Amino acid sequence: MSDANPFPPSSLRTPKRASKWGDRVFIVLTGVGAALVILSLVAFVVVLYVGAEASVKQFGLAFLTNRVWLPASENPNIPGNIHGVVPFAIGTLLTSAIALLIAIPLSLGAAIFLTQQAPQRLRAPVGQLIELLAAIPSIIYGFWGLIVLVPIMRYDIEPNLKSWLGWTGWFGGTPTGLDVLTASVILAVMVIPTITAISRDTIAAVPVSQKEAALSLGATDWEVTRRAVLPYARAGVLAGIVLGLGRALGETMAVTLVIGNENASPTSLLSHGQTIASLLANQFAESSGPLETSAMIEAGLILLVITLVINVGARLVLSRLQTGRGVGQE
Amino acid sequence: MSGTSGTSASPPGDTIVRSKGTSRTALYTVIAVVVVIVIILGGGYAAGWFKTGSSSTGTGVCTSPASATINGAGSTLVAPLMDAWAATYTASTVNYGSVGSGAGIQDITQKTVDFGASDAPLNPTQRAAIPSPGVVTIPESAGAAVPVYNLPSVSATLKFTGQILASIYLGTMTNWNNSILQAVNPGVTLPNAAILVVHRSDGSGTTFVWTSFLSAENTTWKNTVGFATSVSWPVGSGSKGNSGVTQTVKSTVDAIGYVDINYALTNGVAFGAVQNPAGNYVVANITNIASAIKDANPTLPAGTGDWYNVSVLNAPGAHDYPLATLTYLFVYKDLGTAYGASYGLTKAENVVDFLSWIVTVGQNDSAGLYYIPLSQTVVHADIVTIDSITYNGAAISVCIP
Repeated sequence: MSDANPFPPSSLRTPKRASKWGDRVFIVLTGVGAALVILSLVAFVVVLYVGAEASVKQFGLAFLTNRVWLPASENPNIPGNIHGVVPFAIGTLLTSAIALLIAIPLSLGAAIFLTQQAPQRLRAPVGQLIELLAAIPSIIYGFWGLIVLVPIMRYDIEPNLKSWLGWTGWFGGTPTGLDVLTASVILAVMVIPTITAISRDTIAAVPVSQKEAALSLGATDWEVTRRAVLPYARAGVLAGIVLGLGRALGETMAVTLVIGNENASPTSLLSHGQTIASLLANQFAESSGPLETSAMIEAGLILLVITLVINVGARLVLSRLQTGRGVGQE
Repeated sequence: MSGTSGTSASPPGDTIVRSKGTSRTALYTVIAVVVVIVIILGGGYAAGWFKTGSSSTGTGVCTSPASATINGAGSTLVAPLMDAWAATYTASTVNYGSVGSGAGIQDITQKTVDFGASDAPLNPTQRAAIPSPGVVTIPESAGAAVPVYNLPSVSATLKFTGQILASIYLGTMTNWNNSILQAVNPGVTLPNAAILVVHRSDGSGTTFVWTSFLSAENTTWKNTVGFATSVSWPVGSGSKGNSGVTQTVKSTVDAIGYVDINYALTNGVAFGAVQNPAGNYVVANITNIASAIKDANPTLPAGTGDWYNVSVLNAPGAHDYPLATLTYLFVYKDLGTAYGASYGLTKAENVVDFLSWIVTVGQNDSAGLYYIPLSQTVVHADIVTIDSITYNGAAISVCIP
């Protein structure tokens, strides 16, 4: 955000300093802080890899293509100890994608309303309320989901979706409320505050002159927003969406409570499912044996990789957007 | 952002610099106070101010060993009972980590605790992973799995047979008004609604009992799903822990699940009667589970033996509840060899004293918390096992009340 720093570091060094020694301590301290952050990321990857080694050896690349997750079995006639990440990777990506699909229009709408249309005295309180939503612990969302949202989805929303959109093949099965769709809706509710808050800040930072110019050309409110405001703010909005996506990918407790926790690929949006995060939350402490534990650690590593890839990708897009527009945020 | 830069660039010699003297004094005062507090607390900690356990006093005709700290971990199911025991048992401080049976077995395997607790016995793989000198298995309490359901329109207690439960969990019986279910529940108006099957999403001793029972009752189940602490479920949604299943069933109309009786009773969820081998439909309660454990009279292996096939399911008594189960503690059979010299004889004596206490005096705490006290046969077997625990090859003498 602070790319356009009006005081480049060199300009801060000109005044006489009382003690060089104090500065050195300060540099070392801050440097240690920065190094710790990087080290912990490296340590995460190393530790996860070490923990996952047994599973990597046993399954190799098949871990990325196996569609079953069978716990260890003491009965030789019943297959066991076969683990694959596919159902959970699908669950993770599917719930996050649908959550964004629901959350992006709503968040953008809220952000635009709060910055462009809402009466001045409403803007601050409503904005603060939305930020407050982002601070609610996820377990609370989960309980609300299980007790309030699940019955609504099961009796009111899902049967209708099934009868209207059943032909698409996305809404097969019996509506139970404990399914991929409910998990996506709760994720959407959880990421809306994040995306809204960041979008609102970016949109609010669009120079008034930009809007006035558009208005002076006779643009309507909609045209001002679409042609003058949103293009200017799109990098910041995208950054907000990426943050929201990050939250959705890793969200554990709320998803665990409403997704149905079935270790199989979802066959429709109304079937039970499992995300990588919910798999770990459910079974890590109570795995059926060392191999399953190791496989879960490998699944965790894959979640980390998915998150990193999405973040790096988003960063690339962001930097292209920023250089392309040639505008900073402030 | 720009605000920060502005402050940093402000010229030197303003009020901040002039007040340096006083702020330094304040800073030194704060540092001095913190250092003094740390020293006092550190000294206090060393002197044992913060130990919660009271000093040892005699509990029987002989004297208990000097106090020590005993660490255990495992089963969440017995956690409330363990907490009660830790509070009532005064000779030592007992810390119990409610981390789950699987994690408890892992902890005892890695020797990070003095005892591990699990709702299911060690399976052959887990037993093979235990390092020398091996562990003894001590059943310390009992429980039972009950079928809980949420049918607001049904006020009568539903009756289930093992076959019906197996069909529901296999996904072959899918509707509440199924004719077979109706036949064993004459006079009950069952709703025409899909059965929503709920099972555990984590590994669990309750699942072990439930699937063992279904395996005993239904060959299809036995040959395709089998019994274990976690299985590959044919149908249904998973919830984490007894509390998770209880909560899901409670909030989901038309759901069926299974939980330990303790959770069904404390949460007020309706649970059904299950047909026992004598042909009677039995609603689980403390009495008929206790009598089931007594009547099942399982051939108990030696403490060091393989407990994997010990079962108190399907007890023969006319009114015994068929889904009873024992829960287990695992302790190394030679504490000196297992943990090395730093363990100390005193600590070994404390562990053995605690174990002897819970299988005897401690059993009195069970019923009040909806746990099932052990039968005399099991207690006797336990005492023999606990007596056999050694320290570097020598017997450990403690008070067995």
